[in-house]
Amino acid sequence: MCHQAGPGLDRSPPAMGCGNALGDTVLMETAMTTKTAHDTIQTLNGQSFAQLVLGGPGPIAVEFMSYGCGYCRAIEPILQQVARLIEADETVFRVNIEVEPDLAAQYRIGGTPTFVTFLDGRELSRVEGPDPSEAAVMQAVTGPFTS
Amino acid sequence: MSAPQPQRSTVPILLYDGGCATCRRIAGWVERSAARGPGAPGIVQRPVGNDPAALRQLNPGLDIWDAYAVSHVIMPDGSMKLGGEAVAEVLRCLPRTRRLASLLDLSLFGVRPFQVTLNLAYAVLDDVRPLFGCESCGRPKPWVRPFERLTGWVKAWAGTAPRVQAAPHFRHLAGRDTLRR
Repeated sequence: MCHQAGPGLDRSPPAMGCGNALGDTVLMETAMTTKTAHDTIQTLNGQSFAQLVLGGPGPIAVEFMSYGCGYCRAIEPILQQVARLIEADETVFRVNIEVEPDLAAQYRIGGTPTFVTFLDGRELSRVEGPDPSEAAVMQAVTGPFTS
Repeated sequence: MSAPQPQRSTVPILLYDGGCATCRRIAGWVERSAARGPGAPGIVQRPVGNDPAALRQLNPGLDIWDAYAVSHVIMPDGSMKLGGEAVAEVLRCLPRTRRLASLLDLSLFGVRPFQVTLNLAYAVLDDVRPLFGCESCGRPKPWVRPFERLTGWVKAWAGTAPRVQAAPHFRHLAGRDTLRR
């Protein structure tokens, strides 16, 4: 699989279908959706996962997802919004389980989307399939760090 | 840094979900049907895959989430046809369905009734896919949910009900045919 954005990192595409709702810069419109300018979430591979999540400081949340998952699609614009809101305190990453099945197996991912939070490389909590609402996603991503 | 130039194909490209068994069957049928005509196939197909940058090479406005959600055909000039229009384009490109597809271009008072019907049929089928056990479709639209309950009761009565799903917004990996495409 080709990831061209840099070694081990891939800026995935802009969130779609949510531009106006999120107040993002609308770049283009198709018949189906509006597209937004920014993606604040980096997609990791095995190498960058070890470097940025297991070796990274501070609170980290990882979404295990796949592009073919309708639930991940529904949650994507909300996750983008949440990631922007908390970016000063916490980093949100994503792992595509179709590309990184070994990571998915290692973390016993039973489905998508699954949010796993880490602190100092240690898993703290996980939430499977939160409601596609800001409150639920915020809780999944920041819950263990705020309680 | 200049933006990468879009890749161009001389024939339309049908994008399909390579992780979906039904989609692979349809793509296989399109491939076989396209090969039956004289000369080179009038349409090619490729799985959506997992590389957003590769898709944007086909069309800078092509979003990978959209590509999984709706049928896309990328035209040789780089434009995209979606949903029912994409289905119509596939039919136009296949030797056996070309004449049938010409009906879709019939216009009455500025309206293409057959194409409108196809678009409507596509939209309805797209909405009801979760009823047929589509693992990747996500939560059904609100109007479909009562039917979901109904089919759940029928499956339970027939003894073929799937396991109870604790989280309604969660796609279980169990039962999928493949993890790595």
